[in-house]
Amino acid sequence: MTIDEIKNVILEIIQDIDDEADFTDLKPDEALRDQLDLDSMDFLDIVMELRKRYQIQIPEADYPHLATLDSCVSYLMPRLEAA
Amino acid sequence: MRKYPLLIIGGGLSGLAAAIRFARFGQKVLILEKHSKIGGLNSYYYRKGKLFETGLHAVSNFAPPADKHAPLNRLLRQLKIPRRNFVLHEQYSSEILFPDRSSLCFSNDFTLLQEQVATHFPDSAKPFAEMVSKLDQYDPFIPRPKISARQFVSSFLQDKLLVEMLFCPLMFYGASQEDDMDLSQFVILFRAIFQEGFFRPEGTIKDLLDLLLAHYKSFGGEIELTAGVTEILTENNKVSGVRTASGEVILCESLISTAGVPETKKLFPSPDTAATFSQSDVNQISGRLSFIESIYLLDKSACGNLPRDRTIIFFNLSEKFSYHRPAEAVDLGSGVICFPGNFQGNKEDDTIQLRVTHLANYDKWRHAFDDDDKTLYPAMKNRWVENSKKVIGKIVGNYSENIVYEDSFTPVTVERYTSRTQGAVYGSPEKIKDGKTNFENLYIAGTDQGYLGIVGSMLSGVTMVNQHILNKI
Repeated sequence: MTIDEIKNVILEIIQDIDDEADFTDLKPDEALRDQLDLDSMDFLDIVMELRKRYQIQIPEADYPHLATLDSCVSYLMPRLEAA
Repeated sequence: MRKYPLLIIGGGLSGLAAAIRFARFGQKVLILEKHSKIGGLNSYYYRKGKLFETGLHAVSNFAPPADKHAPLNRLLRQLKIPRRNFVLHEQYSSEILFPDRSSLCFSNDFTLLQEQVATHFPDSAKPFAEMVSKLDQYDPFIPRPKISARQFVSSFLQDKLLVEMLFCPLMFYGASQEDDMDLSQFVILFRAIFQEGFFRPEGTIKDLLDLLLAHYKSFGGEIELTAGVTEILTENNKVSGVRTASGEVILCESLISTAGVPETKKLFPSPDTAATFSQSDVNQISGRLSFIESIYLLDKSACGNLPRDRTIIFFNLSEKFSYHRPAEAVDLGSGVICFPGNFQGNKEDDTIQLRVTHLANYDKWRHAFDDDDKTLYPAMKNRWVENSKKVIGKIVGNYSENIVYEDSFTPVTVERYTSRTQGAVYGSPEKIKDGKTNFENLYIAGTDQGYLGIVGSMLSGVTMVNQHILNKI
């Protein structure tokens, strides 16, 4: 998967959680949580959705790696290739 | 033998929410419900071709769609139910009425209550604001030792009448302990009722339950009705499965019980396993608080008398507001008067509905019901309901001549249909906040986990699945 494809997957999952989420001014290196007003329960949904779609297990200790769009990409890139 | 990753005891709102949450990720889950209908404490029945709701008067935790972190919106997101699928009707206003002494109105705009406190208890306005800001910072979901809410509130408010008045609706709406509550419960109720407020989804509780069930089934979720669990089967410190009323054994990886802590304890077939689950005596941890409730349908001519802008009136006539099991069968000195039609934008009906709730003594009703003289229980019910009508008539205006239909249920009725020991609708005073038990794969959700109300109990189901089950798949 390319960088853009991974970004799109993440945004698609977030859109699915909150269909009013607005990505127009989203900065890829800033926390998704603050910019999109997500809480820890929403984050769990991102993790679960990745697991459902790509069978990748993300341990709780790794959740901080999903903080920004950029960090999602660098964390998921090797794992999605393996999947 | 059938085997499920997750079995859920109870098809009430917490069980349904837990099940939807798990099924939504493509996981197999089965709900076992004892009754022939879902809904648990919030269900319905038919009389004379009309649908009557049990439990639901008004739902607490109202939140506008934009408030994403509010419990209601968070719950809907977690269940993947779009908020726009619901039409919600907000309350007009509600009132805490201590006749001849004072009255406080509140609505879904918290400033009304603040103004009312300032008007009726001017000396308490500042300490009230201080208390509220303290409550705003309190996280009620962290497990911690019990703190007396009464002591907490009294440390801010000197006026005893104001303290009683603030406790009155909160106790009636969810206290499982007599005359006091844990501070965490107080915070949850204070937010749910005073700071967020009351609403009703359009339609009846049946519409809401039908929607949840259809949603659950769309994810492949399974449910069996009139399939009560009679035994929880264990191996070492793990639950291996359950036995149902038909004798079938169903195995599971995890079990969530929404039946209540004392009720769950009774499902362990041996004294040893029951003791492992909980050392406490079932009678000691069973809630003592139950209610008698009357539903009246009134013809339109009663309109003139009755308040049109009040959704709920919480009243107290006694010297001191007491919230405990009454010495007599019913405590007519206090109660809840609800007009389920008095919500903004509600469609006008050809009748007016009125619901009246009083504290009741389970033992007295149980004895009457079990008596060999079968006329005793109905006569007792009739007598108390007639007395209640007189008391309520003095508060909202006389309505007894306008009744076209009425029905009442007692603690015995509640126990029969919800399986709650002693008809204790708010469950055990001992709450298990983290939902964990001494069996590593058995969890408690719903009322006895300490979340309150319809939104709360559903969040309880969701939270238990999030914290304990999803990480295992």
